[in-house]
Amino acid sequence: MGTAGENGTNVAGETPEPVAPPTAADGETTVTEEGTELERSIGLKGGVAIGVGTMIGAGIFVFPGLAAGNAGPAAAGSFAIGAVIALLVALPASELATAMPKSGGGYYFISRALGALPGAVVGISIWLGLVFATAFYLVGFGNYAAALLLEAGVPVGNIPVVVPLALVFGVALTALNLFGTENAAKLQNYVVGLLLTILVLFLGYGGLDAVGVFGTASTPETFMPFGPMPMFTTAALVFTSYLGFAQVATVAGDIKNPGRNLPLAMVGSVVIVGILYVSTIFVATSAFGSDPLSRFGETAIVEVARAYFGDAGALAILVAGLLATVSSANASILSTSRAVFAVSKDALVPQYASRLNLKYGTPHVALAMAGGPVLVLVALGEVEVLAEVASFLHLVMYGLMCVALISMRRDEPEWYDPDFRVPAYWLVAGVGAVASFALIGFMQRASQIIGLAIMAAAAGWYKYYASDVQLKGVL
Amino acid sequence: MTADESTPAEFAPADESLHIREPPRVLVPVEVLEGESISESLAAFLAPANVVVLGYHVLPEQTPTEQASMQFEDRAQEAVEDLAETFRAAGREVETRVAFTHDRDQTVERVAEEVGATAVLLPNPVGDIHDVVVPIRGTVDADRLADLVGTLLAGGEGTVTLWGIEESGVDFDADDAVEYVRETLAERGLPADQIATETTESEYPIRSIVDRSGEFDVIVMGAGGESLFATLFGDETERVAEGAVAPVLVVRDREVEE
Repeated sequence: MGTAGENGTNVAGETPEPVAPPTAADGETTVTEEGTELERSIGLKGGVAIGVGTMIGAGIFVFPGLAAGNAGPAAAGSFAIGAVIALLVALPASELATAMPKSGGGYYFISRALGALPGAVVGISIWLGLVFATAFYLVGFGNYAAALLLEAGVPVGNIPVVVPLALVFGVALTALNLFGTENAAKLQNYVVGLLLTILVLFLGYGGLDAVGVFGTASTPETFMPFGPMPMFTTAALVFTSYLGFAQVATVAGDIKNPGRNLPLAMVGSVVIVGILYVSTIFVATSAFGSDPLSRFGETAIVEVARAYFGDAGALAILVAGLLATVSSANASILSTSRAVFAVSKDALVPQYASRLNLKYGTPHVALAMAGGPVLVLVALGEVEVLAEVASFLHLVMYGLMCVALISMRRDEPEWYDPDFRVPAYWLVAGVGAVASFALIGFMQRASQIIGLAIMAAAAGWYKYYASDVQLKGVL
Repeated sequence: MTADESTPAEFAPADESLHIREPPRVLVPVEVLEGESISESLAAFLAPANVVVLGYHVLPEQTPTEQASMQFEDRAQEAVEDLAETFRAAGREVETRVAFTHDRDQTVERVAEEVGATAVLLPNPVGDIHDVVVPIRGTVDADRLADLVGTLLAGGEGTVTLWGIEESGVDFDADDAVEYVRETLAERGLPADQIATETTESEYPIRSIVDRSGEFDVIVMGAGGESLFATLFGDETERVAEGAVAPVLVVRDREVEE
């Protein structure tokens, strides 16, 4: 911390606003400089629900068809690769989060460890990365809503209903968050619990069937019908399914007993969804073979359920898919608003962006900055590009988080006192960084160009608006 | 000792003539930014106790507490200072706390524990305070109750009505309990003419308390234990505070020493 002005000002003359030093946090509160207590109210269950709730929408309910089409049964390997990379990043992220349990997550760690420029690039591109992710989840929702209408026998004819449904729901979610959602977090916990139950039952039965417990074992296909390369490109595509664990860090300021709960929630949610994803692909490809599966598209998993449990099963999975995509989209809108808050607090964007609405107590500007661009992207409706750009921007942040950890550990500042330390940090963080950046290399050219353009624009904005702002080591 | 020994002196907090075992500490949580406030009469009534004012602001879950504190901290601090001023005008220094939270009950419970509060106020509007009622429906911490009521009423003209309520089908001797509390209060030195007692039977005690709340100015009651019913419909004390026209002082259960 320092006096105002010492850390530079942006074009509008605003300075980074220190709220509370990380040392002022204990298990239940953070105390600001003026002595105000900020209550921590999210427990371990809530943290895991945020992580799992954000992630689960995509991997099971959108990707199986797409992934199987690209990689064959090796899609299960793609999801496993994604899980390993996510774990390699989740560990360093956990350490950083326990050392700096503040809202802002990855952006906060990177700006404090590596400086304002990388911070600004990550902070602004993660805002847009979350916007892409939200749009992607909403398009997934649109697919499920359309399939449900079809199942219910509503004649939609040839009218494309997916995008309009996604748009309507995007508006509804943004409005819901603007006008206050009483007990939204508790609701999220129940939704995630219900989802996990449906999935475990479904996967349990399907898995036993696939290995031949009920009747004959399905004939294994060639694991890599297209060679090993598609397994990696598909891993790059489906990595969007793992973007949720770092969202736990964006609410770090609200997590009770962060030293214990943050690492458990992040690592735990990656492990839970990783297992679910890999078994989903295994069950799905065993049921149909990857070729027919890919023809079902985004709602392939519904056909798998129909094959095992008939129409009732299909309906249950459709409802689960709706819940899952909604929960992912909602969690991402909330994270977006927190991402905007984090950069505006540091004067990297106008501080007006973090203003709260007096009547509802909600961050209306930040929420609008989340919901508005999301709708534009949803209208485009390009699922794969949306997913990859979101992954691209997140992977840059993940890679830099690993770099931030190495930089912190090599030259530990006095205040750096994490409750959780990554064993063999240089190995874990080093491999995590390399893997994150390498995964970007396997993406489609279009996604790479969009991602790089966003990062360049973010850097340009920083140079124009806030080049005097210093953040390295500023707490 | 007899009631006559404690002659009412002039306004004196923590009256020397009382035999208080544990000076009561009252936590006063106020939702400051929602314009909630404490009337002068209530402040004057509570002033003999050791008061901690907790100004809090509840945020929707999508708003980080940090973000709210940036915008509203100064205003909240000021509002709490104003409240503290009301208490100082009544002649007593108070401790103040300010908190931003997503969960009011969690914050109040935490602060109550931290400051070792013996009672927590659930505010309601009130005019002049004269009559206190203590509904007794089960085992109460008579010592804490007596310390609190004794301290608040000492040296004044206010009266306390110990009201035993028997619930049909519940094994509880209201007369005994009321008598025990009366004795404890008398031991503390509260004059007998300030204490009234009565017992009634009621099928719905909470409703009865709410119905009669208009006859009294302040309700003092025990926290009541955890129960399935309380989890579903809210604490009994909160339901009383919602329905009643008088403020409620909830005497907290003693923390179990480890």
